[in-house]
Amino acid sequence: MPTLTVDGRVIETAEGKSILEALDDAGLLMNGVDVPHYCWHPKLSVDGSCRLCQVEVEGFPKLQIACNTVVQDGMVVNTTSDRVRKAREGVVELLLINHPLDCPICDQAGECKLQDYAFDYGVEKSRTREPRRAAKKRVDLGPTIVFDQERCILCRRCVRFCDEVPKTRELAVFGRGDRSVIETFPGMELDNPYSMNVADICPVGALTTKDFRFKIRVWFLEDVEGLCTGCANGCNIYLGIANNKVYRYQPRRNDDVNETWMCDAGRLSYRDIGAPDRLQYAYVRDATGSLEAAGYEAAIGAAARRLRAIIGSKGAGVIAGVASAHATNEDLFTFRRFIEALGTETSGVAVPKGDADDLLIKAEKAANAAGARALGLGDASLVADRIRSGGIDALVCLGSDFLGTGLLANVEELAGLDTVIVLDTHKSEFSRVAHVILPTRHAAEKHGTLTNAAGRVQRLRAAVEPAYEAHPDGAVLSHLGKALGLPGFDGSYDVRAVSKALAESEPAFSGIHLDSVGDRGRVLIDPDASQRDREPEGPNL
Amino acid sequence: MISTGTRSKIEAEMERYPQKRGALLPALYLVQAEHGYVSSDTVRELAEIMGLHPVEVMEVVTFYNLFFDRPQPRHHASVCTNLPCSLRGARVLLAQLEEHVGSKVGEPTDDGRLVLGHEECLGACAFAPMMRVDDAYHEDLDLEHAKSILDALE
Repeated sequence: MPTLTVDGRVIETAEGKSILEALDDAGLLMNGVDVPHYCWHPKLSVDGSCRLCQVEVEGFPKLQIACNTVVQDGMVVNTTSDRVRKAREGVVELLLINHPLDCPICDQAGECKLQDYAFDYGVEKSRTREPRRAAKKRVDLGPTIVFDQERCILCRRCVRFCDEVPKTRELAVFGRGDRSVIETFPGMELDNPYSMNVADICPVGALTTKDFRFKIRVWFLEDVEGLCTGCANGCNIYLGIANNKVYRYQPRRNDDVNETWMCDAGRLSYRDIGAPDRLQYAYVRDATGSLEAAGYEAAIGAAARRLRAIIGSKGAGVIAGVASAHATNEDLFTFRRFIEALGTETSGVAVPKGDADDLLIKAEKAANAAGARALGLGDASLVADRIRSGGIDALVCLGSDFLGTGLLANVEELAGLDTVIVLDTHKSEFSRVAHVILPTRHAAEKHGTLTNAAGRVQRLRAAVEPAYEAHPDGAVLSHLGKALGLPGFDGSYDVRAVSKALAESEPAFSGIHLDSVGDRGRVLIDPDASQRDREPEGPNL
Repeated sequence: MISTGTRSKIEAEMERYPQKRGALLPALYLVQAEHGYVSSDTVRELAEIMGLHPVEVMEVVTFYNLFFDRPQPRHHASVCTNLPCSLRGARVLLAQLEEHVGSKVGEPTDDGRLVLGHEECLGACAFAPMMRVDDAYHEDLDLEHAKSILDALE
C-alpha cells in the first residue's frame, strides 16, 4: 500500500487513490488537513476544474491539484506553504471577479463555501473595475430547484450528479469560456427523484431548493443527527432545527447506507412533523357515538375499561394487535411484550409497499420493517383473516399508515368491532371507527433505534419536543398496560433500558442497542452466520 | 426535420469514426447546411440518429461560434478587426457599414437579410482590410466597394 506524507503526517492509502481521496479516507480532509475544494466531491467523478485544491508535491516543479494527482509511494505533500496559499488566493480572487456581492440577500450565506474560502483566502481589495458578468437570475429549473446563474462558479458538481447518480442528465454546461453557463436542455426540467441533492452539493448560492429558500437563516439552525423514516432504507440525515421546529432534512454521509444522498420524497417528509393534521389530543368516543377530544389520562382509562370489559366477557383471545413498521425497535419490543402480557395470539405488522429503485428508494415504505421481522412479529394478514372470520372483537393499532393499502381490513370492515384503540401521530380514517385514539410521537420526537432494509440498526434521536402531550408508542402501551394491571407493566418507559433489555433478550440484537450503534449503525447478527464464523466484538459485523 | 438525404450522409460520416460521437461535428455541419441553424428539435433528432443524449449535442452546438441555435439572417458579413486590418481602417469601415445597413454588429437588419459581425484574424492580412460574407472572402476593401458587396446581397 502506498504511503504518503502530508504536512508531516504519514498516511497509508490504497493503490490508485488521489491525494484528496487518501485524506478523505483517513478522515483528515478539512479535519486536520485543510485542502479547500469546490469541484471535487467524494461521491462524484473528478473534474479538476476549480483549481482550488492545489498543493505542493515534492519533486514536481509546479503545484498539483490534489483531486487528480494519484498518490505514489513515498510522496511528500505540503498544503500549508506560501506558494499554496498564494495559489488559493489567486483562485478565490478569480472566482470573485464575477461573483455577485449579494451575500446579505443570498440564502446560501452561512453555509457558502465561497464565503468561507473568501474569508480564509480572499484578498482585501478588488483589482477589477469592469462590471460583473450579468446572467439569469431566479431560473425555475423544475419542481424543486431555483437557479441563480450569476452566483454559479461552474464547478459542474450538479452536472456530474445528474449524469452519474440518478443518470438523468438534465443539466449541462452550454457555451464556452467566460460565457459558459449551466442550463437544462431547452424545454426540459430538472425533475428526478433525487433532484434536491444538487442544492446540497452546490458550494455556492446558485442552486437552492424551493422548499427551504428564505425560510430561515442557516446560522439559526442546529443540525441534529437522525434518520429519514420515509422508507426502509434508513437514510442518515441532519434535521435542521430552530425554535423547536424542523426546517429541513439534509442527507448525512454514511457510506454504508446512503453515501451522501437522499431522495426528494424523504427530504420533504419533515413536513409531517409539524403538519396541521397531527393529533394534538386524545379522543374518546362517547355514549352518543361521537368522537370527542379528551385528556390523555382519561383516554388511557377509557381504553383500559373497554379492554377489561372484553377480557371479562370473552377472554383476551378476541383482542388483536397490529403495529405499523414505523414504530422503533423499542416500541415494537414493548408492543410484543404487551400482546404477550394480554394473553392473545393475534398480532402482526403491516408494511405498506410502494415504488422502489436501485439507488436508495426501497419498496417497503416503513422505516423499521426489518426490525419488526427480526423481533419475530408476523404479517398482519393473519390479523385481517381473523377479523374477517369474526374471531376478533377488539383491535389495538400502532399507527395507521397501513389503512387503505389492503394490508389490514378496510375501515368499513373494522366498524363492526366492539373496540378499536389507535395509537397514532396523525389524524386518519381511523377517526371514523376508533373508540379511543391516543397521540404518539413522530420519529423526530423520540429516542430509539430503527433497523433498515439491510438489517442495520441505527440511532434515532429526539430532535424536537411536541407542543402537546404525546408519548412514544412504547410509553403509551406501558401506561395502558399499567391501567390494565398487566404483569411487568408499571407505567414507566425508559427507552434506554428497553433498548438494553431488547439487546439482551434477542440474539439478533446481541450487544446492539441505542448506546452501542454509534453514528453509522450496526448490522444485526445473523443467528446462522454467528454459529459458523462469528467475529469477536467489533462494530459493523 | 432532418431530410433522408442528410440523414444518410450523417450515417455515412458515422461509419468513418471508431466512435459514433466522433462524427458529431461533420453531422452538425450537414444539419446546419440544410436548415441554416440547429434548433433544439433538430438536436433531439440528431441525438436520436447518433445514439447520443440531446444535451451532449447541445453542449457542442453552443460551444462553437459557427453553429447557430436559432434562425439566422440570410447572410453573415463579418469584418476582420484584428491588428493588421484595424491598422488599415477596419474598425472605421465597420462603423460606417453599421450606419449604411442601419443595424449594429450582432443585430440583424429588420428585413432579415443580413447581420454584421466582426471577426478575429482570417489569415488575409496582406489584403487588409477584409471581410467574410458567408463563405467568400472580400479583400482590399474600401467603403464604396464594401457597400456595393452588401447591397448586392439578396
